[in-house]
Amino acid sequence: MLFSSIPFLYYFLPIVILLYTVAPKKLKNTVLLLSSLFFYGWGEPKYVFLMLGTIFIGYVLGLLTEKHRGTFLAKLWVTLSAVVSLGMLGYFKYADFFIENFNAVTSLSVPLLKIALPIGISFYTFQLLSYTIDVYRGDVPAQKNFITLAAYVSLFPQLIAGPIVRYSDVEKQLIERKHSFEYAAAGIRRFIIGLSKKVLIANALGEVCDIFRASDDKSVLFYWLYAICFTLHIYFDFSGYSDMAIGLGKLFGFDFMENFRHPFVSKSITEFWRRWHISLGSWFRDYVYIPLGGNRVSKIKGFRNIFVVWMLTGFWHGAAWNFIVWGLYFAVLLIIEKLWLKKYIEKSKLFSHIYVMLLIVISFVIFNASDMSQAFADIAGMFGAGSLPFYSDEWLYYLRSFAVIIVIAIIGSTELPVKAMAALKKNSKIEKCINVIEPVALVVLLVLITAYLVDGSFNPFLYFRF
Amino acid sequence: MKNNIKNIIVSAVLAVFLFGLSVFTWVKAPDDYSESERRALASFPELSVETILSGKFMTSFEDYTLDQFPLRDLFRRIKALTEFNIFNKKDNNDLYIADGYVSKLEYPLSEDMLTNSADKFSYLYETYMADKGMNVYFSVVPDKNYFLAEENGYLSMDYEALVSFMKEKTSYMEYIDIFDLLSVEDYYRTDTHWKQESIVDVAQRLAQKMGVEISGEYTENTVDSPFYGVYYGQSALPLEPDTLKYLTNDTLLNCIVTSYNTGIAVEKDMYDMEAATGRDPYEMFLCGSDALLTIENPEAATDKELIIFRDSFGSSLTPLLCEGYAKIYVVDIRYIQSAMLGNFIDFNNQDVLFIYSTLLLNSSAAFK
Repeated sequence: MLFSSIPFLYYFLPIVILLYTVAPKKLKNTVLLLSSLFFYGWGEPKYVFLMLGTIFIGYVLGLLTEKHRGTFLAKLWVTLSAVVSLGMLGYFKYADFFIENFNAVTSLSVPLLKIALPIGISFYTFQLLSYTIDVYRGDVPAQKNFITLAAYVSLFPQLIAGPIVRYSDVEKQLIERKHSFEYAAAGIRRFIIGLSKKVLIANALGEVCDIFRASDDKSVLFYWLYAICFTLHIYFDFSGYSDMAIGLGKLFGFDFMENFRHPFVSKSITEFWRRWHISLGSWFRDYVYIPLGGNRVSKIKGFRNIFVVWMLTGFWHGAAWNFIVWGLYFAVLLIIEKLWLKKYIEKSKLFSHIYVMLLIVISFVIFNASDMSQAFADIAGMFGAGSLPFYSDEWLYYLRSFAVIIVIAIIGSTELPVKAMAALKKNSKIEKCINVIEPVALVVLLVLITAYLVDGSFNPFLYFRF
Repeated sequence: MKNNIKNIIVSAVLAVFLFGLSVFTWVKAPDDYSESERRALASFPELSVETILSGKFMTSFEDYTLDQFPLRDLFRRIKALTEFNIFNKKDNNDLYIADGYVSKLEYPLSEDMLTNSADKFSYLYETYMADKGMNVYFSVVPDKNYFLAEENGYLSMDYEALVSFMKEKTSYMEYIDIFDLLSVEDYYRTDTHWKQESIVDVAQRLAQKMGVEISGEYTENTVDSPFYGVYYGQSALPLEPDTLKYLTNDTLLNCIVTSYNTGIAVEKDMYDMEAATGRDPYEMFLCGSDALLTIENPEAATDKELIIFRDSFGSSLTPLLCEGYAKIYVVDIRYIQSAMLGNFIDFNNQDVLFIYSTLLLNSSAAFK
């Protein structure tokens, strides 16, 4: 079920809020678990049991790891947990990729498995894995209550597109959490802002990308329009989803970590990755990069660690070469920055922004390509390779038609709106006005969102494929 | 404290809106049909273990909730107005307004579709007409975009290329150009079609080229109810309706219209007044989308017959050609297999006119 859908907004969510509100404290997690299973089952009825089975294995292995902490057995149980989690991910997500490449190298014809990817598997397996590792490290105690652990892993606000919530971050909230009007209002505000980012902006930008793909009237500027729109699209789509997840979390008393902090204002690629998909970046840092030695090893090993982490980060996003290349592209850029570029880019704000945005836009062209040949063709198109015209009628038409949305998206992706709001609130009279306007503005946004959903349009979340 | 009051107000206002609309959604009785969109609405899907496990129920339920959402037309209107007035979009779902006319982008030119159209016409010609010395004519009706799109900055297909392509592929037919007789004022503001009262000159040009005479003298009649064209509902914008007019004279009043839609001859009216106030008022002309009709003119001064291959633009045009012929066969190959036509029409020495709009030529997948 999509957050940005009528069944979620006007059927599922009100019922869940109602049940959650009337449920006694000890049953609140049960309500969340059952709601989450229904939510997941709505899109993946067959895979509900797969998820429950995975959680159960993680639950048992967590208990066993704790029981044998400090012994060889604990290592065995946590290794088994990793094998199960990563094995599941490998089987459902990567098996066909490996078979295809094996066939290509050996000229054999091993049949593909053609298994549908269970939605959200990349997110919930990582959550479960971090849980058992944390138990093994002694950072958290094993969860004795299966319902509590299952509610954590399957929690519908973050189940299918993140952020990747660590058990250690919500351990206490799973038992005791705060419910207040402050949390409710903050949750509503965040949820509606996220929904607006998705429905009003990301979907429109996605439309431009679809139009570009279908067009026979491509030009250099049309390639650039596509590249810029996709870069903005993926940001508004994914950060919008994270906002919704964080907002829904607050409604139910949880504090989820921030997943985006205006990444397009970054002045270096290193900074960009501190602001983009933070929950994934920190997961790889804590569970792969640091265990490999991080940067406290020799230079060569340090570079190896960066390459490993970024190859895995790319591969996590999808079982295709373009995702691996995308990850390695960042590894190379991060190393170059570390070695030489950092001192130069810090000198000029303007240069650093142009540098970051150019490389980011190119990275997302690679990311969104169906394969590497399309990635090369798209990048070549951006730089006028072949006999492409510089501009075309379609480029001009769609630039004019989507200009306002693109400008809103560009401004909205910076810190400007937040800073402007903070500055306005310093004046007490303006703050009073904002306080009066806010509920009205939120209702207006919800009406607009509903109108766009009722009219039906392009709607899938990009991160559902991960 | 102040913040707490604000938080209570935000929570309460949004809760009232969300729960209020939810309850409205649940209690609202489902509708079968959308008048504005001219389509049947999704009904509650079949609920079974099989439909749930296959995911079919969920997909259908989503369609159901969209179609049956309370105040659906109002929400669609809000979306359209937001697209145009806030986001300054050039079109909404490909529909745009220019010079007070609503039109739908027809772009780009599809060579595959034009080839399909030309192949179908060639098949008909080779199968029924080639060796019979029949006079075969071809005409193209420009859609509204021809007059509106390019000059208002919308994507416009190359109409010259379309006509050249079709002429080249159908060189066995004599092409009759009518583009110069038309302007955007000859079309309804809220509908795809042209106005019958504005195409008398078109009928006269066609008749003259085909070697028959029509007087062009008619009485103009007006349908009492307002005409909300197909783009009115699709655009969801607050637009003024059109006025539907139709032309009559003594010849037309005496003509006998027979439909063979069901395989059985059924007498019908030239102008269906019930349809004129129905869901698609343009269907008043020759009963809308009939596969095969004949119009017999008992007062004809000639025994010439005409076979018209046409789309819906032909529905309002054909009555104006009646004066020149004793009998007209009106064929719509979207609803009858071309290969079966020989069972219904004795192709002999009739005149034949292929008249199609650019919209259909460029999107001819429905030709049978």
